[in-house]
Parts: sequence; C-alpha cells; structure tokens
Amino acid sequence: MTWSGFRSDDVSLRPFSPDDAPVLEAYLNQPDLEGRRYIPWSFPEYAPLSTQQVEAILQKWGQAEDELHLAVIHRETGDLIGHADCEWEWDPHNPSVSVVIDPGHQRQGLGSQVLRLLLNYLLEQTPAHNITAWIASWNTAALAFAARHGFQQAGRMRRAGIRHGAYFDTMILDMLRSEWQPEGGGTDAS
Amino acid sequence: MPLEGDLVILREERRDDLDFVRAMRNDLATQAWSKTLPPDYTEPMYTKRFEAREFSYDPREGRFVIIHKDTGQRAGYISYTELERRFATTIGIIVARAFWGTGVALDAQEILLRFLFQELGVRVVRLWTHSGNPRAAELAKKSGFQLSARTRQAIFKGGRLHDNLILDLLREEYFAQHPEMEDHLPALVLET
Repeated sequence: MTWSGFRSDDVSLRPFSPDDAPVLEAYLNQPDLEGRRYIPWSFPEYAPLSTQQVEAILQKWGQAEDELHLAVIHRETGDLIGHADCEWEWDPHNPSVSVVIDPGHQRQGLGSQVLRLLLNYLLEQTPAHNITAWIASWNTAALAFAARHGFQQAGRMRRAGIRHGAYFDTMILDMLRSEWQPEGGGTDAS
Repeated sequence: MPLEGDLVILREERRDDLDFVRAMRNDLATQAWSKTLPPDYTEPMYTKRFEAREFSYDPREGRFVIIHKDTGQRAGYISYTELERRFATTIGIIVARAFWGTGVALDAQEILLRFLFQELGVRVVRLWTHSGNPRAAELAKKSGFQLSARTRQAIFKGGRLHDNLILDLLREEYFAQHPEMEDHLPALVLET
C-alpha cells in the first residue's frame, strides 16, 4: 500500500529493498545516464557500476539520515523505473531534490509527476523554504525540465568535474516556498 | 618549512589549542558557519574530535591554527575540506576578534591557497558564505575568488534571511594573480 502523498496518476514512490538491486543496476548502467545518475559521491559517476557497488549504494541510501531515496514505480506495470531523492543534511530550511528516470521511460511525463511528489512532500511535510536542484551544465534536458517546473537559475559551481575531455560546471537552481504552485506548476513535458 | 606568510604561520592543531577553537565556535560573531551553532561546545567535545583524527597519507581535509608571527598569539583557524585529490577543495576561515582588520585573514588565506595550488595541485578552490557576512566575500575576492552562485534566502541566521553564496577560484585565475609564480602543472583540458 503506497502512502497517498507518494502516488500520482502514473507513478508511486516507495522505499527501496535489497531485491531492487538487479533492476537498479540495469538502469544505472545504461550509457544514457552517464554522469547524471545521482548516486552517492563516493561512487564513480563516469564508469559502469558493479553489482557490489549497486548493493552498497542501496545500503547507503537505506541507512541515510536527513535524506530520502525512494524507488519510482510505474503503477501500471509495477516496474521500478527510477529513483527520487531529496536531502536536507545541511539544513531542512534548504533541501535539494533530484529525479532519475530509466531512459526507457523518459519523455512520458513521469519525471514531472515524481518531481511534484517530492516538492509536495518537502513543502507540505517539512520546513523547507528554498529548494535547490544541482544539475551538470551539459545536462540541458534536466535544466529545461527544472526551469519548466519553476526553478530559477542561481548560478553555478564552476569546474565541478571533467567529462569527455572538458571541464563542466554544476548549475544550481532554486525555488522559494512562495514560488511553488501545487497545481499546474509548469508544463508536464518531461 | 612552515606554511609561512608575512604576518602569520599556519601550523597543525595541537591539544592546547582546543580551548581557543572552542571559544571561537561559541562566539556567534566568530563561529563562521552559515547556520548558527549553539554556543555550548565543550572542551571534551573538541578533545574527542581532535583524538578522532587518524594518521593518513591521504587526508581529505587539513586544519591549521593561524599563529601571529609578531606576538606568537593564536589569531584564528583555517581549513580545507572535501578534498577531491588533484582537483577541488573547499576552504573556511575563522579569525579571532582581536585580529579583525589586521590583515592576518588575507595572509592566512593566501598561504593556504599557495599550498593547495602548488602542493596539492587542485584545479579549483571553493568557498561558501552568505550575504549577511560581506567581509567573508570581500576577503575571498581579494584573493581572486569570484561569486559564482547565489541561492536566495537559503540561510536563516541572526533573525534574518540571507542568500547563500558560493565563490570559486580557478587554478588559472590564481596563477594570473601571482605572476611571481609559474604553473608547472599542465592543463587538464584545452579550454575553448
């Protein structure tokens, strides 16, 4: 039974279980997600992950405090199709969010539904005031996605990493509580 | 060879420094943190933190007490954290009230930057502060940092909302500011 706050028309969010490891490993290792997997920083972002590493990620997510890492489930099929994360370790006043959808299920509006569930959670169940999204500068699809959902550009963290022979930045976007529009906050076009 | 500048020396933290460090953290004006820490840190807490540090040839952080050369007094505390080896790190600095406005902060910051770029070979140094602490941003800018991000109202401190500020200094920018030094570390990428 999914908590109602974690269910939309097409997706639901639930805690991960160790049984999710094979599916998680399969989609995390899709080349299309390289560099935008939103896994703990101590794991390689630009290399394939081993089964043991994926199990360690699940364990880390499961034990994390001041963080939420939820499995995205396609309600029609029951399949695990991504993960939704928010963390407020620094300060619950200023949490961050991220959404990762298996490339095979992108462009169906599912990511938008997941992001809205996360924002609803943070703004209706926590003291969040400013919510940030941290997105690599080359990830133009995610930047456009965040902008569509009302996030504003806050600047960049220069030289966040090196990828394909070039430095990239991490773009930082933010949204104030007062800017959140619970219904119809941006077009659903992810 | 100590980490030495014109005004200060940076040296390792010692057991008899802990009360000095505790006192700065328990002063809301000097605790240098973007959210207020309760002024109730005790010496045993600092002793525990001090003793928890293990020997390593690959530390991911460095902590230094700033010693004023003329007087031998402790003038503050400076550190780097979250070291991504040969790539990036983040610095932080606390200056004791008695040394505000004396130039020790800039001297300490420059010594640490020289160490990070010349010895650790990082490509970027970052620094986080907030809009309610303009002196911190000004100090960073004196060493060439630029303001790269501002998240709105992300900090609540002193009864007010402040913007969170991220400043950064690229390796090339650092060496451009220091023509007396040459960068012998080849570029990682061809910048376009």
